[in-house]
Amino acid sequence: MNTALEGKTYEAVTLNVDAGFVARFARAVADDGSFVPPTIVTAPEIVAGLDHLVADEDLGLDFSRLVHGDQEYEWLRPIRVGDVLVVESTIESIRFKGGHEFLTLRTEMHDEAGDMVVIARTGLIVRGEP
Amino acid sequence: MKGGVRYEDLAVGTEIPPLAKIVTRDDIIAYAEASGDDNPLHQDDQAAIAAGFSGIIAHGMFTMAHLASCLVRWTEDPASLKRLRAAFRAPVYMGETIVAGGRVKALDPSTRTALLDVWVTVERDGTTEWPIKRSEAEIRLG
Repeated sequence: MNTALEGKTYEAVTLNVDAGFVARFARAVADDGSFVPPTIVTAPEIVAGLDHLVADEDLGLDFSRLVHGDQEYEWLRPIRVGDVLVVESTIESIRFKGGHEFLTLRTEMHDEAGDMVVIARTGLIVRGEP
Repeated sequence: MKGGVRYEDLAVGTEIPPLAKIVTRDDIIAYAEASGDDNPLHQDDQAAIAAGFSGIIAHGMFTMAHLASCLVRWTEDPASLKRLRAAFRAPVYMGETIVAGGRVKALDPSTRTALLDVWVTVERDGTTEWPIKRSEAEIRLG
């Protein structure tokens, strides 16, 4: 991967947390729908982050060797039905170790008032040739 | 939905009730649709086999969502979950039973916050595997 892209921020995406989306996600993770599943933020994180990384020809990420190593979420408040989240991802670091490549992506989610709601950190591993 | 666990109920070493779930192909298809993660590793057996697995595997984030469910069902308050970090260390195959669990490792009375060791295990061929290993959650209670 191209380490010159450390620090690159991708175009933000907006997510409407509507009742239908919450119900669908809750069913998919076997919750009863009585609350918004905290990890519902994975969906906008993929659009704002992973999808941009895969499409970025300057980065050179080999999707076929990609593994999800680590994931962290910090919720500054719970997600609510009706939230409109602005989601923006930045490449925090790209490292090489033991023949593998490691990319850390930081994603911030703000609400319409501009307050931070979630900070997400994703550790991706591109496995080296065996 | 509030009031499941109180801060006063906790001590270092308190175990949280484990939550088990059998992972099916329908679950993983539904999760791919809901999350937008359409990596073929989770949908196409041939692609998964080409990548060195014995068949499609669950999304790490599906397993992490189950861990979050385990925590929220325990506290009965989704607002209690402040932070969750998961390290994905083993695959989960279709038909396997994932079991989420955790244990209190530190308490901060000034913020009524508990720091938990958390994990997700699978029993496979007589061995315990750790799809989520040595991970951490922070829970703030009323």
